[in-house]
Amino acid sequence: MPKLYTFLKYFCVILWSCFVIAPFLWAISTSFKDFNSVTGGATYIPWLQFEPTLDGWSVLFKPGSQGGINIIGPYFNSIFVTFTASFISIALGTLAAYALSRYTFKAGFVQNNDITFFFISQRIMPPVVLSIPFFIFLSTIGLLDSLAGLILVYIVLLMPIAVWIMVDFFNRVPKEIDETALIDGCNPFQAFFKVVLPNSIPGMIVAGLFCIIFGWIDFFFAFILTFTNVQLLPVKIVALNSSITPWWSLSAAALVSVAPLIIVAFIVERFLSKGNLTGALK
Amino acid sequence: MAKIELNNIAHSYNPNDPNPIFALKEMSLSWADGGRYALLGPSGCGKTTMLNIMSGLVTPSHGKVMFDQKDVTRTITEERNIAQVFQFPVIYGTMSVYENLAFPLKCRQTPDDQIDKKVKEVAEILNLHDFLNNRAKGLTADQKQLISLGRGLVREDVAAILMDEPLTVIDPDLKFRLRRKLKEINAKYKTTLIYVTHDQNEAMTFADNIIVMDEGEVVQAGSPKDLFEKPQTTFVGYFIGSPAMNLYECKADNSNQVSLGSNNISVQTNLVSTNTSNLKLGIRSEYITVEQSSGPNTIHADIIEVEDFGNYKLITAQQDLIRIKAKVKREQEVPSEKVFLKFPAEHCCIYADNKLI
Repeated sequence: MPKLYTFLKYFCVILWSCFVIAPFLWAISTSFKDFNSVTGGATYIPWLQFEPTLDGWSVLFKPGSQGGINIIGPYFNSIFVTFTASFISIALGTLAAYALSRYTFKAGFVQNNDITFFFISQRIMPPVVLSIPFFIFLSTIGLLDSLAGLILVYIVLLMPIAVWIMVDFFNRVPKEIDETALIDGCNPFQAFFKVVLPNSIPGMIVAGLFCIIFGWIDFFFAFILTFTNVQLLPVKIVALNSSITPWWSLSAAALVSVAPLIIVAFIVERFLSKGNLTGALK
Repeated sequence: MAKIELNNIAHSYNPNDPNPIFALKEMSLSWADGGRYALLGPSGCGKTTMLNIMSGLVTPSHGKVMFDQKDVTRTITEERNIAQVFQFPVIYGTMSVYENLAFPLKCRQTPDDQIDKKVKEVAEILNLHDFLNNRAKGLTADQKQLISLGRGLVREDVAAILMDEPLTVIDPDLKFRLRRKLKEINAKYKTTLIYVTHDQNEAMTFADNIIVMDEGEVVQAGSPKDLFEKPQTTFVGYFIGSPAMNLYECKADNSNQVSLGSNNISVQTNLVSTNTSNLKLGIRSEYITVEQSSGPNTIHADIIEVEDFGNYKLITAQQDLIRIKAKVKREQEVPSEKVFLKFPAEHCCIYADNKLI
């Protein structure tokens, strides 16, 4: 029985790995193909079944005048907007979540759980509902088609995620830790920054990861709130599409666009396994 | 260090409710400087609330908290100079043992050389000196609890160290050693120690004074001897001692005698002015003796069970509805079927409406 269990376990892991890795391998292979190799039936092995070419990749870095899309500018725009919005969302969201976890708020029938739900409800609404208000709001304050405008909108979109994850995290951090810090002579701010926050880094990393993912993959708001001054990566990649779908360039662009998320995941994974709260109490 | 007084303290967690429930009913208590106290009572009787009121984590609904005659009822926790050790060890997991112990002094901006001296001194007392540079997170539960305690001891000005069932997570052998260590600390530094527990043995072996609480009220405060020999209420009689006090409904026959079923028991309590129907006789199983023949204050009962606990025997006997538990020496000969059990008059306590007369 243990052998069968081990076999099944490895079988499932390998199956799942194939399921996850296969699209990447497919995209890598396609990004080095040309028109004929993609449309002339399935080919798998480079040099034997098709001749690899860098055409798909070079389009991404050529200026528009030479038939390319030059993703470098939008790439850095995307990194700047996503990371800035995620950082601000985590900073504000963590403070809000701590308050919602530790203090009691009551206004009529509205209590802590209702406020937390209000935050989450921002994500339940279909994005299209928010598009017109955001458009009018940004055009009123003069931030339409700007990085600052996009950051503002992304903060609104990402902070609910941060609050939601961090409230749950703080609820599981024993309040005796805060109380001990108060007894040891901290004021509530010192207790939060010196004691609670260092213990909350794993939660903040998880929340940060979600914020970065959701910020990075957004196409909808980047598309409707920007025009010519500012462009983000997803919008730029879509611009590759023409009457003949360039699968090779799209594959290259897809690989380039997921690279930051993979790097972030690798860095973050170490911290997640390293730090947790289990030793703080009990 | 300070004398702590609770004047007419009461606390409700829902004070704005039309019918507030009081976790702590109105009471006044005083804690002498340098004393060793135990707060004893079942879970939910208000012990932790009282502790949190003293440390400032909870502001009482009524009454005043005084430290050395100074009103600190509204003083915030960090300004009260109280140390509190919780049921489960609370350590700062991201810091080393040294940093954990130094933390309260750092918060008070104590110079580094003084911090170093004090931390090493306390680590020596608590046998933590070998772990000072280790991450606190990796230590065992009892070592973590020692760190919690150490954070209280590094502060020389601490008014009292409050401990909320601090040895729950500790092994029995270590519990004994830690209790002894706490006593040593109390003797050496004259720090007021207030120890919350629901374990009577812990309370009895630790404290000079025990405060027994039930349903938000202090039911008796006194030395372990007082609580054992003269429980002021039937609750204390039942709660303190193992086995619990034998308690029987009885009727007053005359000024110094009660009837217990078909038995007449003489007592030293004057029952002349007693006019309640709710009268109870209480006697500790330790004071009941086995007799060879019938005599005054003896009950002839059937033996149900004799349990040998190694250092003593526990006899369970029954006469009609009266079930008696008697603790006798191991060498004592116990008959196999029926036994004469004597209730010495000087150890019989009479309770009217569950209160000692």
